[in-house]
Amino acid sequence: MNQGKTTKQMIIEGLKSQRDRPVYNADTINKISREFEEWKNSAVSIENRKHYDITPHLLLGTDLPRGLVYSPIDIKFLDYGEDLGFPGKHPYTRGIHSNMYRGRKFTIRQLAGFAGPEDTNERIKFLLDNGATGVNIVFDIPTIQEYDSDSPIARGQVGMGGVAVDSVNDMELLFKDVPIDKMSVSLVTHYPTNTAILFAMYLVMAERRGVPWEKLRGSVQNDMVMEEVVRGGLEFIPPRECFRTQCDNISFIRTHVPKWNCITLNGYNLREAGTSVVTETSVAMANAIETLKDLVERGHSVEWIAERISFFWDASNDFFVEIARLRAARRLWYRIMKYRFAADNDKAMLMRCHVQTSGLSLTSEEPMNNIVRAAYQALAAVLGGTQSLHVSSFDEAYSVPTEAASLVSLRTQQIIQEETAISAVVDPLGGSFYIESLTDELEKKILDEIDEIEKMGGIVEAINEGWLHKRITEYAHHENRMKEKSAIKIVAHNYHNLDGTTAAIDVFRYRSGVEERQRQKIERLKQQRDNAAVKKGVQRLKEACLKHENILPYCIEASRADATEGEIAQVFRETFGLWHPPVHW
Amino acid sequence: MQSDNIKIVIATLGLEAHWRGASTVAQILREFGVEVVYIGNAFPEEIIEIAIQEDVSIVGVSSLSGGHLTLGSDLIYLARKENIKDKVVFIIGGVFPPNEYNELMNLGFDGVFGPGATGEEIYNFIRKAVTAKLADSTGNSIA
Repeated sequence: MNQGKTTKQMIIEGLKSQRDRPVYNADTINKISREFEEWKNSAVSIENRKHYDITPHLLLGTDLPRGLVYSPIDIKFLDYGEDLGFPGKHPYTRGIHSNMYRGRKFTIRQLAGFAGPEDTNERIKFLLDNGATGVNIVFDIPTIQEYDSDSPIARGQVGMGGVAVDSVNDMELLFKDVPIDKMSVSLVTHYPTNTAILFAMYLVMAERRGVPWEKLRGSVQNDMVMEEVVRGGLEFIPPRECFRTQCDNISFIRTHVPKWNCITLNGYNLREAGTSVVTETSVAMANAIETLKDLVERGHSVEWIAERISFFWDASNDFFVEIARLRAARRLWYRIMKYRFAADNDKAMLMRCHVQTSGLSLTSEEPMNNIVRAAYQALAAVLGGTQSLHVSSFDEAYSVPTEAASLVSLRTQQIIQEETAISAVVDPLGGSFYIESLTDELEKKILDEIDEIEKMGGIVEAINEGWLHKRITEYAHHENRMKEKSAIKIVAHNYHNLDGTTAAIDVFRYRSGVEERQRQKIERLKQQRDNAAVKKGVQRLKEACLKHENILPYCIEASRADATEGEIAQVFRETFGLWHPPVHW
Repeated sequence: MQSDNIKIVIATLGLEAHWRGASTVAQILREFGVEVVYIGNAFPEEIIEIAIQEDVSIVGVSSLSGGHLTLGSDLIYLARKENIKDKVVFIIGGVFPPNEYNELMNLGFDGVFGPGATGEEIYNFIRKAVTAKLADSTGNSIA
């Protein structure tokens, strides 16, 4: 750490001298405090006084106590310029653009991915034809876990839950006739190692289509927390090597694909695995901090890298908390960049994000209710000022969404955008005593947890030691208990539930023959390609892994030679070695 | 809490990346006094091998990403081949399309649990199922 100080210490010191524009003066607060006491003791019933603060227990909740009502007393130190400011201005609490959705609507970015690349290509076009403004590609389990479709390990799982991609050829089929030079494409690669492979294939695909890398816009996830903690799997590389891969990817992508977001810190999946909004945010930010430190050590400018960092958050059921968290995260990220990294480029200080509504909160009972749940969550994301949004579909407690269910999700977003006037005013809840108080409290709790992580030696060490695994397991277990005793109420599941109801909905049916088709394509590819070139590419990648050279150019080289995903991944497993995650249960 | 000496092996099926469900069920059952062998990701061959080695009364597998029918049928096939299907209770939990609950039962699973299943439900089910299987396989009638 810089001069041995933690991020929290640096922020606290930095803020000390700045707060010179208090909204309320001490006299006003004293007067309101007296009135508050008087009101509480006369107008509030004894029962409500006794339980003035209650703690709502919700799915993926944070157990923050809430008062009966909020007033200036709860935000008595509010400094307008330092804590809120105007949108598009420091500290960005109210939004990253001055005109927010008037200038640029949030991107409607629905997930797409199932079966083979040919099938998903159809779904991409369907979504684009119906007004989606970006795509979000999700891969099948073998692709995510880095095994080829013809591997015995992949049997029965090809094309399930996402699209199968084995080589550059599949990437070409996936994006056939999709204008990749004109729209932004999010590749949900999750892990650093599969980012190194799948994004390499994406770049080679663009090359083959004659689209210069400079024109490509989009994002990858490239998040080590996903690879080492959130997922289950058969083989894991050690956290240090995983972190290195993450930073290799960033360094290369930032240099050669300038409009691409080289890392999307994925809070979403971590939260869904079982954690609070506080841990979701603190872990993502602690990872971002350590990543920036590493890239600075590699000789990059901190601002230049930070401009292309983005975040991915969950929107779950605690409506106002979800809104306040987005505001708190924007402010805290600004403060981290300013006081921890001394950044002065505005673009580097923006917490840009994508939000997805919670999949975990969807029930299999009476699935149409999920449309309502997702709509409230989506609303919270928009009121919080997200840049792009995915609304989970009502049938997802059963399967990947049908076309009809995807359309409802798309329409949910369009209804918020066009029928409610919510997008007419920037940060409409700004200044609410409650929202501002929650924003303060969340920012403080997130920063405290970043401090805890830094004191353990940073996120890589915290993962290595099993801190995060333990935290998730404890949270998930506690939540489950609360759910089972109905302390967390879920309508039609453990509350107001009708016995014996089964769903009468149409669900997605996987197309058959995908595995066979993928297998045949790989067989053909291996006959037609220059196998000597593949071997050479793989060998050169091995050397780069061992010599601590940036691995991404070598992944690209191997992809150009039509190496398969599994062939490249095997190099990582061999050269980096394997690690056993400290899973608790 | 009564365990009746129930022992279960719990695995996430194949390459399944979600582990929250399996780990939560493992914890719940342990609290009910069940002896749990949690093996994380595993394929049917390994699961059956461990089930035999550990002499378990139940095999529980978790699948959320679509591998349930193929890998599930491999698991039951191997269980029959190794002659443990009649002695051991097989349950599967996760995310399945509604019509495939029956398909999984037809494959030979003794119990199928969706996202709404509670720990108590699962525990009560396996207690009954283990007793029933034991009675069946030893030729006794179920009381």
